[in-house]
Amino acid sequence: MATVLIENLTKIYPPTATYPHRVQALGGVNMSVTGNVFVAVLGPSGSGKTTLLNIVAGVETPTSGSVRAVHNGVPAQVGYVFQEPRLLPWRTVLNNMLYVQDRKSDRSRREAEFYLTMVGLNEVAHLYPSQLSAGMQQRVGIARAFLVNPDLLLMDEPFSHMDALTGRSLREYLQRVWLHTRKTALFVTHDVSEAVELADRILMLRPGGVVFDDIPIDLPRPRNPDDPAVRAVERDVLRRFDSMEAAVRFGAQAQ
Amino acid sequence: MTDVAHRAPAPPRPNDPTTFASGFQEIATLPTGDLRPADDRSYSAPLRALRRPWVVQLIAFLILLAVWQYLNVVSDRVPSIENVVSFMWTEITGGSHGGMLLGEFWGPLGLSLQRYAIGLLIGIPAGAVLGLLIGASRWVRGLLNDTTLVLLALPAVVWAFLASLWFGLTSTAPIVAVVLTAIPFVAINLSSGVRDIDPALVEMSKAYRVPPRNRIVDLLLGGTVPNALTGVRLAFTTGWNSLLIVEWFGATDGVGWRARFWYDALRYPGFVGWVFLFVILITLLDRLVLRRLERRAFQWNQKPTLSFAEDWGM
Repeated sequence: MATVLIENLTKIYPPTATYPHRVQALGGVNMSVTGNVFVAVLGPSGSGKTTLLNIVAGVETPTSGSVRAVHNGVPAQVGYVFQEPRLLPWRTVLNNMLYVQDRKSDRSRREAEFYLTMVGLNEVAHLYPSQLSAGMQQRVGIARAFLVNPDLLLMDEPFSHMDALTGRSLREYLQRVWLHTRKTALFVTHDVSEAVELADRILMLRPGGVVFDDIPIDLPRPRNPDDPAVRAVERDVLRRFDSMEAAVRFGAQAQ
Repeated sequence: MTDVAHRAPAPPRPNDPTTFASGFQEIATLPTGDLRPADDRSYSAPLRALRRPWVVQLIAFLILLAVWQYLNVVSDRVPSIENVVSFMWTEITGGSHGGMLLGEFWGPLGLSLQRYAIGLLIGIPAGAVLGLLIGASRWVRGLLNDTTLVLLALPAVVWAFLASLWFGLTSTAPIVAVVLTAIPFVAINLSSGVRDIDPALVEMSKAYRVPPRNRIVDLLLGGTVPNALTGVRLAFTTGWNSLLIVEWFGATDGVGWRARFWYDALRYPGFVGWVFLFVILITLLDRLVLRRLERRAFQWNQKPTLSFAEDWGM
């Protein structure tokens, strides 16, 4: 169980040769996440969701502010599911799993096989990523994230590149594995129904990287997207999303 | 309704080649029969045989022999195939050919191969270390990248002459020439391989705090294998050229020296025979060792690709 404490986090990208302007990705984010919760960070494109996750993972550095992701006082072990699977093409599925492990022991191998079985891929452990479909590759990415026994699970729109059917199937796999492990999870998405189906709490980011709303989702699991209760929450979140957009437009007009 | 209509399909056998595990725990039975692509089936049997790679290569070889034989007929400066083969056979087995005593084959060949092996054993690892450093460190790249590119641009003959100048008629000169030729080829290819490693994979490794050993073995070395193999293949071929040039101009033994010996003696069958030997050796090395290694190293890359030639049925 990890604690993520984010205070006044800003990220400004400097001008580049192709875009000669500064870009503010995050404009003072404050949030805290603790416990075995699944938190969805919901926001439109350009609201700094991926930047937020990259900073929490330590892949990017903030311009100002602080981020602490700890577990029992030490930096939390992170499992990260990216938008694309990010597998080593020259390693088999099993070796891609073992790549993130400290030691390639029999125990690691057994654990890797266990998580591959959970996502229904144990039979293709010997294949290379190019021999798998995009959905199967992303399932390897999910299994890999759980294999490191993460204190904190980060997921950056992992199903955004999938067709609707594959996305739905992957969400079921993710729910199944998450319910088994109950890791602290930060899940970035721009899909409201996905957020409602998976999360215990939704943090809404508005363009410019500021937290607009913090919505608790108190629904039993596993959730069915066709369930009327789930639909009702979805409508509520969409209403809030619309009011955020209106606020952003109004703010822009006022300026 | 009969029993047959109600019978469930037999479970697939575990090692049945006609079954395929999809990963969704579904077993799909594939059709048996002619699995060749439809456009391949449209050719008649003799035409299909002509499209086989080894048949094409055999045809190319036969054309080469025919051109050679033709040149022998129209010019007295080109020895016949038969003469060259009989000369080289006598060179290998020992004896007299055209009034000259032959029989120095294994000595020069063994010596050249020894020099070649030592040169590559030094040059390839040295080039690999240099390439990894240039690829991984901006500072080393700034310091050595341009220099290495200049060294790469120098033809093998320059290294051969320089090595002969520095070390004279010794065994060191050909070895040094092979080393100096191999290093820039391996280094430049490997450094570009390191720079081409997908930054997304580096980010993933950083996020997961992948242990340094795994990053070096699986990401750095694993990711640069294709470039390393290209560099090694070039090092093998250019190293061999450079060795032969040094031996030709500045040695008293070895394969290059023996070819020059027959050239100076105006024995064209001997000269042509030894030149052919160079080609055969490097071709065998390429086919039997390097290409196999390459195929093995690229077995992960099984994306469906349609080449221009295949698209046009060529």
